[in-house]
Amino acid sequence: MINIALYKHEMKGSIKLLIIFGTIITMYVSIIINMYNPEMMKTLDGFIEVMPELMASVGMKANATNLLGFMISYLYGFILLIFPMLFCILRGNALIAKYVDKGSMVSLVAAPVKRHIIAFTQMKVLISGILLLVFYSTIVELVCTRIGFPEKLDIIALLILNGGLLCLHLFIGGICFLSSCIFSDTKYSVAFGAGIPIFMYVLQMLANVGGSAEKVKYFTFFTLFNPDGIIVGESSAIVGIFTLFVGAIILYILGIIVFERKDLYI
Amino acid sequence: MSIIKIENLVRDYGEGKGVFDISFHVNQGEAFGFLGPNGAGKTTTIRHLMGFLKPESGKCTIDGLDCWNEREKVQARLGYIPGEISFFDDMSGTEFLKFIAEYRKIGTQSRKKELLERFELDPKSKIKKMSKGTKQKLGIVAAFMHDPDILILDEPTSGLDPLMQSRFVNLVAEEKEHNKTVLMSSHIFEEVERTCDRIGIIRKGRMITVDSAVTLHKRHTHSYTVTLENEAIAKAFASDFDGICNGTKVTVTTKQSLEEIFMNYYGGDKND
Repeated sequence: MINIALYKHEMKGSIKLLIIFGTIITMYVSIIINMYNPEMMKTLDGFIEVMPELMASVGMKANATNLLGFMISYLYGFILLIFPMLFCILRGNALIAKYVDKGSMVSLVAAPVKRHIIAFTQMKVLISGILLLVFYSTIVELVCTRIGFPEKLDIIALLILNGGLLCLHLFIGGICFLSSCIFSDTKYSVAFGAGIPIFMYVLQMLANVGGSAEKVKYFTFFTLFNPDGIIVGESSAIVGIFTLFVGAIILYILGIIVFERKDLYI
Repeated sequence: MSIIKIENLVRDYGEGKGVFDISFHVNQGEAFGFLGPNGAGKTTTIRHLMGFLKPESGKCTIDGLDCWNEREKVQARLGYIPGEISFFDDMSGTEFLKFIAEYRKIGTQSRKKELLERFELDPKSKIKKMSKGTKQKLGIVAAFMHDPDILILDEPTSGLDPLMQSRFVNLVAEEKEHNKTVLMSSHIFEEVERTCDRIGIIRKGRMITVDSAVTLHKRHTHSYTVTLENEAIAKAFASDFDGICNGTKVTVTTKQSLEEIFMNYYGGDKND
């Protein structure tokens, strides 16, 4: 179902980004988790008192009651959303649209390889990258919490939470992939593939601040990923994850179909 | 038997651009020259044959296989040199050829070595840093190395120096001897004339004429034999005017540019 040669080549193309984002995630996650002690929390909560809107916009809230709540507040509103999202945007565009735009897609389609296999392989490259990032983040979280606070973490809840995070990023990747398949011009592929997720994230930030802007949350898919709801097993949060997952599958299938049928001016 | 077949192909880009009701065929073991100025619709036609574009109307088939619906079956037998060479820049030439071989799942690559030697290509450097001619050579090697029986070549000699151009012409001639089918586009009359059995001329998306190279040659070139004072002058004359020297007699042949040939077909309608 995939072309191994292409998969290997493209995974090589992902390595650099994966290492960069992996490093950033390692740094942030380890620093934040190590801040989970009463004194540091006071400092952080102090920040929130000083600039409540700004901190709230990236999902940071005061008075977390346990380690997981603390992690959700300081990791799942910004760092673990932004960096995998950037990966999706950069790779999503590069995997299809860039090749079509530059003309190097010729080498791929002028060969006895079906177009849907090309698209499917590129999709697998994107998904593999997302999986690696989320999987790696989970490992870092587990290691850091294990070292700092052996007894305090509900591991199952963390795994479910990261399952949700994975679905969110698969969905974002789906948007980037579909956009990459639709547009033959990098300009438009980026405009939609990056524009939609970033715009949605900005809406999410607005909604987080609360007040009258809270209604905005009905217009962004980030609302479907509700970490606080996930860890307490709220059914609406589980439905949200499921919706993201199904949405992601639909986006990828659409992307493959579009690429299979589109005219290539290369 | 016709291997490549285009029937009433239409692709309208608007403003008179595109191809309009094009039909022609290429027989097994034949080299067909597809001649036309830039923007005439050569590449558009070839993109349909390659299965990159779906015909608006009309049909393209290669050995009975539909070029759009059965493109991967068609591709298995094709060698293609694109009009604009754009490979993966981050690879070296060697890596690219290796990648293509794995990607296409070609087993033996005996042909690769021979082709690299023939075109004096050292593929070690990064594609990004290669000159246009070197990239073109790489494109030629990539198109021929899996030993396809049908070749679609879109302006294959662009960027090549005269020596390499003539090596390429020889390569195509050899392929033809092996009963391979060749479709080659160009905007240079002489190049196509040297390589191809039949020539189709396209202009503004319409096929103006399809005829044998010999007939077209006769129609569009004129030979004159002149007698000069002595052999030395005759030789000098022959070398200056690219003629054939025979004692004090020299035969020179006119070379019409493509534009002049078109003028012929359009009766000098310059406004068209």
